[in-house]
Amino acid sequence: MKRLYKNLSALLALALVFAGYNTFAQAAPKGDLSIAINYFVDNNTVPSLLVRVKTKINGRFQPVEGVSVNLFLDKDSAGTAIGRVTTNRKGEASIFIPVSVKKQWATSVKHTFLATFKGDKKYEEGKADLTVARAKILLSTADKTITATVLELKDTTWTPVKGVELKIAIKRLGGDLPVNETPTFTTDSTGQASADFKRLGMPGGKSGNLILIAKVEDNELYGNLSVEKTVNWGVKFIPVNTFNNRTLFATRDKAPIWLQLIAYSILFAVWGILVFLVFNLIKIRKIGGQV
Amino acid sequence: MENSITDEKIIADLLPQKFGKAGKIWVGILTVICLIGLFAYYRQLRYGLIVTAMRDYVSWGIYISNFVFFVAISLVGSLITAIFRLAGVKWGAPLTRIAEIIAVAAIIFASLIIIVDMGSPERFYNLFTHGRIQSPIIWDVIVITTYFFISILLLYYPLLPDIKILLRFKQKSGNGLHKFYNYIGSFWQGTPAQFKLSEKAINILCITIIPVAFTIHTVTSWLFATTYRPGWDSTNFGAYFIAGAFLVGSGAVVVAMYVFRKAYHLEKYITEIHFEKMGRVVVLLSLLYLYFNMNEFLTPFFKMKKSEEGYLNGLFSGDFSVVFWFAILIGIIIPVVILLFRRGRKPLPMFVVGIMVIVGAWFKRYLIVTPTLLNPFLPMHDVPASYHHYFPTWEEWAITMGSLAGALLIITILARIFPIIPIQETLTEQHEKAI
Repeated sequence: MKRLYKNLSALLALALVFAGYNTFAQAAPKGDLSIAINYFVDNNTVPSLLVRVKTKINGRFQPVEGVSVNLFLDKDSAGTAIGRVTTNRKGEASIFIPVSVKKQWATSVKHTFLATFKGDKKYEEGKADLTVARAKILLSTADKTITATVLELKDTTWTPVKGVELKIAIKRLGGDLPVNETPTFTTDSTGQASADFKRLGMPGGKSGNLILIAKVEDNELYGNLSVEKTVNWGVKFIPVNTFNNRTLFATRDKAPIWLQLIAYSILFAVWGILVFLVFNLIKIRKIGGQV
Repeated sequence: MENSITDEKIIADLLPQKFGKAGKIWVGILTVICLIGLFAYYRQLRYGLIVTAMRDYVSWGIYISNFVFFVAISLVGSLITAIFRLAGVKWGAPLTRIAEIIAVAAIIFASLIIIVDMGSPERFYNLFTHGRIQSPIIWDVIVITTYFFISILLLYYPLLPDIKILLRFKQKSGNGLHKFYNYIGSFWQGTPAQFKLSEKAINILCITIIPVAFTIHTVTSWLFATTYRPGWDSTNFGAYFIAGAFLVGSGAVVVAMYVFRKAYHLEKYITEIHFEKMGRVVVLLSLLYLYFNMNEFLTPFFKMKKSEEGYLNGLFSGDFSVVFWFAILIGIIIPVVILLFRRGRKPLPMFVVGIMVIVGAWFKRYLIVTPTLLNPFLPMHDVPASYHHYFPTWEEWAITMGSLAGALLIITILARIFPIIPIQETLTEQHEKAI
């Protein structure tokens, strides 16, 4: 009986140690998220939002993957929900403004986008908002001069905007190439900015087409606007296809002439000698027959 | 009497001899090895190339190593017969037939082993229907065929005067062989006109065979060098292969000299002087080959490019290091050390050196093919474990050994049919000496 008490006491002591450990153990502090909303309108079509989520690790901002953010238009309510997005490896997620908020969209020329994160095991809850005015760019060309016009919707009228900085460039695979030495342009009182096209000799597609682009980037009022226009100002690219030509890697009937000449000349020369030597043998045989 | 007593003695000494007991055992062993090889080849035809250890990465195994070995050894015909003749090296005359026989046997099996490597033999036909003149494989097929014909002609032309002598000894040669000699050479009467035509033909052949011989092995090296892989991407390959080929060919001639000298009691004709001179040739060729090896391995080792690191480390200190250092030491360096001494150039040490050179050369060809294929530029991913290693199956060994035995059998049979030392040439030389 004494022994049983002893064992029970030991077990109780062990249980107390574990319980104590759990009682005093503290959960790791949650991280803070930095959420940013970016507004995009490409070619004056449906606007889209890009959400970027970061957190500070060792004094540096790092993208956070897998964070789900709820997006709303103007107010946080079910009727104005734009949608729920989850960030990718780069900490980014994007969404087009859905038709479901069309009514709300039409109510005003300025809108505020709200982003909310409810928090999880690793991060505290977070919020962000962005207010933009509805605007658009028009792009026109004449005699290798490009004119971009920035217009803002005021009440029901598209009104030219003065003093907006924008880029006028050629869209290339590696990035945007300015059309001349000026990197950016500013709109005048008519809302226009003009640029002379000086990239003559620029390779275009098969028909010499180049894509011009006018861009307003990270504007406080209008967000990111861009518009593209295809012009026939490039040099036509005529592809040189060596597929069916005479090459070392072509089919047998497409062997290079120089190679055939060299190879067959050597072949005929050597085998010519061999044939001659066979005839020589026949000659020796004949001489033997005559003796 | 047409010939003096000395002439008759020379003829008697040099006439082909029937196989003795040892000869019969030798032929028997070779035949058995060939038959085992044939059975293995039957299995390969029956079940396909799956019976080999060759897979996606190592698609060229010992068959191709063996092919390169045969092509290399065949080059000796051009060295001993053509280069020596054109350079006026008189002492090499008794060795010409040995060299030509080795060349013919080796080139026959080089062609056969390529067909074996193809898997289904009917694929050989596709080389002609679909072959591209741009491909080094087609160049190889063309040049091997050409070299084979030249070697046959170079064996046949100098044989004609000897056949006339052989026809005089019907009783010794037997009915069957006599008929054969009659068929291939009864027209040779030894007239000045025939001699003139024959001499002219031999000279033309000697001149022709040198570029063709250089081409055959250079093109074989290009099968590798035109492929962008670690170890093969080399501009040194043509010269490196030719140097190695002359070395192994000379080693083979030395071994054959010793064996025929012993077996047919030809001490008076293949003298110690011949071994002494061949020893010097082998030293020269070993040093030349060593030089090309240093070029081939020292500069990549110095740079140690990341893409070639696995391949080079595998050779120098990895899985293939034992074979690599064996091939370098046994096949090149130790022969040089032995042959630098006068005693080392005596018949028996020369025979041992010849064997060392041949064995080292065979493994050297294995090292040219396999380690490269196991170390591709793009690392192997998601492949069965067996793809990471290559060790030939018994079928591959049997076929390879069968082909080696086959080549030896051809050499043995040709040595049984034809005089291993040119009789007429020896007689002429003797007469010239007497004058």
